Amino acid sequence: MLIDLRPTNRLRGKQPIDTRAVLGPVLDALAGTDLDLGTVRVVCDWVQYRANFRTPIDLRTILGDERHGSGDRLEIALDLRQAAAIGPAQCRSLADAVLARHRDTPDAATADLYLEPWGPTSQSCLWGFNALYWRALELWEKATGRLYEQALPGGESDARNVAAAREMITDLFAVWDALAARNALPEELYVVELGVGNGHQAKVWLDEFRALDHARGGGYYHRLHYLLCDYSPHVLEMARTTVNDHSGHVSAVVLDATRPGVALAFLNFKVFLVYVSNVYDNLPSDEVARIGGSAYVVQSRAYLPAATAAELTGALGVSADGLARLIAQLLKLGPELMAEVAPDVFGGPDDVMHFWQAVWNGLRLAERYAPLHGLDPYEVAPGVSGEALRPLLESGEDIRMHVSNGAVASFADTLRLLHPYGTLVAHDLFVTDVDAYRRLYRGPGKYEGSVVNWVNGPLLTAIGRRNGFDVTYQPFRHRSGTNIVTLTARARD
Amino acid sequence: MTTPALLPTTVIGSYSVPDWLERARTDYHRGRISSVQLGSIHDVCVKAALKDQELAGIDIVSDGELRRDNDIDYVLARLPGVRIAPTTKDSAYDYFDAYVDAALPEDDPPELGLARDYAFASAHTDRPAKFSFTGPFSLSRRIHNHGYRQPADLVRAIARLLNAEMHALAAAGATILQIDEPFLAGYPDEAALAVEAVNIVTAGVNAQWSLHVCYGNRYARPSWEGHYDFLFPAVHKAEVDVLALEFARKGYDDLDLVTRAGWDRTIGLGVIDVKNTRVEPVDLIVARLRRALRLLPPERIQVNPDCGLRHLPTPIATAKLQVMVHATRLVRDEIDAHARGTDSGAANQEDRSE
Repeated sequence: MLIDLRPTNRLRGKQPIDTRAVLGPVLDALAGTDLDLGTVRVVCDWVQYRANFRTPIDLRTILGDERHGSGDRLEIALDLRQAAAIGPAQCRSLADAVLARHRDTPDAATADLYLEPWGPTSQSCLWGFNALYWRALELWEKATGRLYEQALPGGESDARNVAAAREMITDLFAVWDALAARNALPEELYVVELGVGNGHQAKVWLDEFRALDHARGGGYYHRLHYLLCDYSPHVLEMARTTVNDHSGHVSAVVLDATRPGVALAFLNFKVFLVYVSNVYDNLPSDEVARIGGSAYVVQSRAYLPAATAAELTGALGVSADGLARLIAQLLKLGPELMAEVAPDVFGGPDDVMHFWQAVWNGLRLAERYAPLHGLDPYEVAPGVSGEALRPLLESGEDIRMHVSNGAVASFADTLRLLHPYGTLVAHDLFVTDVDAYRRLYRGPGKYEGSVVNWVNGPLLTAIGRRNGFDVTYQPFRHRSGTNIVTLTARARD
Repeated sequence: MTTPALLPTTVIGSYSVPDWLERARTDYHRGRISSVQLGSIHDVCVKAALKDQELAGIDIVSDGELRRDNDIDYVLARLPGVRIAPTTKDSAYDYFDAYVDAALPEDDPPELGLARDYAFASAHTDRPAKFSFTGPFSLSRRIHNHGYRQPADLVRAIARLLNAEMHALAAAGATILQIDEPFLAGYPDEAALAVEAVNIVTAGVNAQWSLHVCYGNRYARPSWEGHYDFLFPAVHKAEVDVLALEFARKGYDDLDLVTRAGWDRTIGLGVIDVKNTRVEPVDLIVARLRRALRLLPPERIQVNPDCGLRHLPTPIATAKLQVMVHATRLVRDEIDAHARGTDSGAANQEDRSE
């Protein structure tokens, strides 16, 4: 049996985990079964997100590979934080329960309410909840009484940081000055922002740009085209209003952040700066794993635990199937329309908001591992085959890591926009060392109504490198104590 | 095979590199497979590339530069006096760090292996084979020069070493040779030096010579931007027969510029955008050729992609070549019909685009 205890830092310090108290009951429970314990893995994480998709003890099947005649194996996944909180007796009881359920009904329906079939996590309905959150952000904020930015560490987005904006602009001026000296500076100077929020970042940037340009005697501001890009027309309109003072230089473009090239193909190789703040960590992602030398994709399945499902069906007076249908409708229609189409269930939008939050709070992910037969058939993103994962999967011991599919798609498509002297700057939560996946949990977690996954930085580095870009990471330098990292991508050579 | 007198089709040089070949090369650079195995893989790839070009109907084929990990290192690492440190790299596409610590030894220069590569390719096709290689100016830009006080002297020294190899190529039967200068567009003030070096390379070598200048195709991206005016008037002095240029991606305004500048020899007309995976429709290529025919007689046009096909997936690369050949045949037929007086003539027809 392999026990993989990832957060080794939790074994020391002021409040070390009592591993015997959390692991002991699980091992005792396993010993009481007739499983071939040599094939069982026990993996321990410390899930730092208070709101997440895990239960204290989950059981995952590692699907066998028929081609090699290998059978299924088991992985017991332990969240040390939750397990420590419930204590040894409940740990034992939970471990007994998941093992009994596996023995008695390994693949059958349970009282848990499953909302979808197995599939790669990027296809899960949890991303539907994530999209709904951004679509109906105003309603969510009203229901919780808390603005999104207030929920961020530090109380505001780092994108608004004046010093960071000034640094980017100064770098840009240096590039433009050098090109102008060679008579190689185009007349039109394009800057693109992907994911514009309320427009305050753009305002800070444009105000600084104008001031710095004027201080130099002008010349660049009147040639500047700043493109606000977002998938939401509502958000774009809000942002456009915020930067109204710069209206002659700003255009608003509706686009999908994972495919910026579709809307901006006319800017291929023309953009000098693409700025992306806190977008990548919120885009759909799969996870892949290397277990015992073989590669797997993590398949997941969203569900409501039996207790949550029972509570909701009772409160709403619907069957389990009816509850599943209401959830699917909510994701399609949003809270306002939902109140209209189901007046017999919901008294109004406020009721729907309570429903949404209850479902979201209860939502969990069941997981299993499906073998990958070669990496190249697995598509990380359009035009990026799974071969890009090979150096990371083969970087050492067993590993489970994010694929950051949405971030990779956005990143790779954005690189095509960049002028030979252009730069991509992204502020986000990046894993910068592949070994970090062997030590620390990096998502998914719940952040308000959205999903947060740290972004696989080494993968972006490898993809950038293959496309001719040097990708570097630095801790965000303009605010201390933040987990935000600055990614910078520039053409190499 | 006889090469058509009008609008012969050719490639710039490199051919599509499949993912697995890239991985094999990277494995070689990391010491996971031997040079013998990699050489064997390359032999098979070159034969396949020749076959793909033949099936597409290309008149003048190439070995696809498939033995080369990128446009620089293959030649640079073989030049005597060039020190590479270290000789491993994470990706075959990455450039080595190359150093010249003293003047390059030019007496009795060793074979660089290019003639052997040509001989292998020509033995496996019945079509004329072009041999392309990166020119001295671009090679010099990737060298940390501590051996020459004047950087131009390093360029000239490399040119002399390449000239010796060109004689070996000619002895091996090569009759169509091409010098690529992918870095020149980034150093427009150096055009005269680059042309001087080109003439050193070509000196005394009896072949049809091409000079290919583009805006870079490293990782399927342009490295530079600008216009071809920087080539003139220096390029008039180049001892070459063909000037092969990039137009499809950037548009054909620069073709006017080149003809206005008085270029009186053949143009290698880029009609395929190699930085875009969309396969051009036939009528777009026809329109591009017709536009060129308004400025140049068909005897002075060679039809080729903008640059090498290295970064295109193989099915896309072959499809693009097939379209290029098909469009060229249509235009040749128009010209023939015009010559027989049965058509209004290609050059008088209106363009569809650009």
